[in-house]
Amino acid sequence: MKNRLKLLRVERDWTQEQLGQALGVSRQAVNALETEKHDPSLDLAYRIAVLFGRPVEDIFENPHA
Amino acid sequence: MIKSSPGWTPAARRYVFRTLAFMGGYVAIIIAVSSNAFDDIRNTPAAWALALTVSAPVIGQIWATLALMRESDEFVRAVTAKQFIAATGLTMAAATVWGFGETFAGAPHISTWLIYPAFWASFGLVAPFIRASN
Repeated sequence: MKNRLKLLRVERDWTQEQLGQALGVSRQAVNALETEKHDPSLDLAYRIAVLFGRPVEDIFENPHA
Repeated sequence: MIKSSPGWTPAARRYVFRTLAFMGGYVAIIIAVSSNAFDDIRNTPAAWALALTVSAPVIGQIWATLALMRESDEFVRAVTAKQFIAATGLTMAAATVWGFGETFAGAPHISTWLIYPAFWASFGLVAPFIRASN
């Protein structure tokens, strides 16, 4: 799923490891999200949205829109 | 500020510890049963206790792998599950072909306990090709 996760993470100068800790997932999971190898669950997508203070659709492109 | 603590996840560390413990136990039991100490009970009902003892660490290792999936995040869980399922399918296919080979083509008999190392060999074959959850 296309997303702006890497851009938002780099803007805050966070590593994948640091973002993973903040979200409660592994560095591999963050990398997989950024490289579109994993579509997040609704729960994880909302956690990411809360962390960055943005609506989910600002971060993840809705493939059905 | 988010703290940084690089390295394996707690679930991965537990998996490695459990694997080393179970496989260490397996090697110790195999060495023990390879001696002549248990020859007297072979082919008796008591030999089933011996079979279960040797199998116990393998069952433990299967549990450790399933526990890794349960304790990991959603990405690691999904990828490991996909790899596990693909390896299981490949192993079942190979075992079925070999079994009918024994029945119809005179292929040499293989002990069924070899299915477990065969599964991990299959896992090693499929894992590099399954790196995404979607």
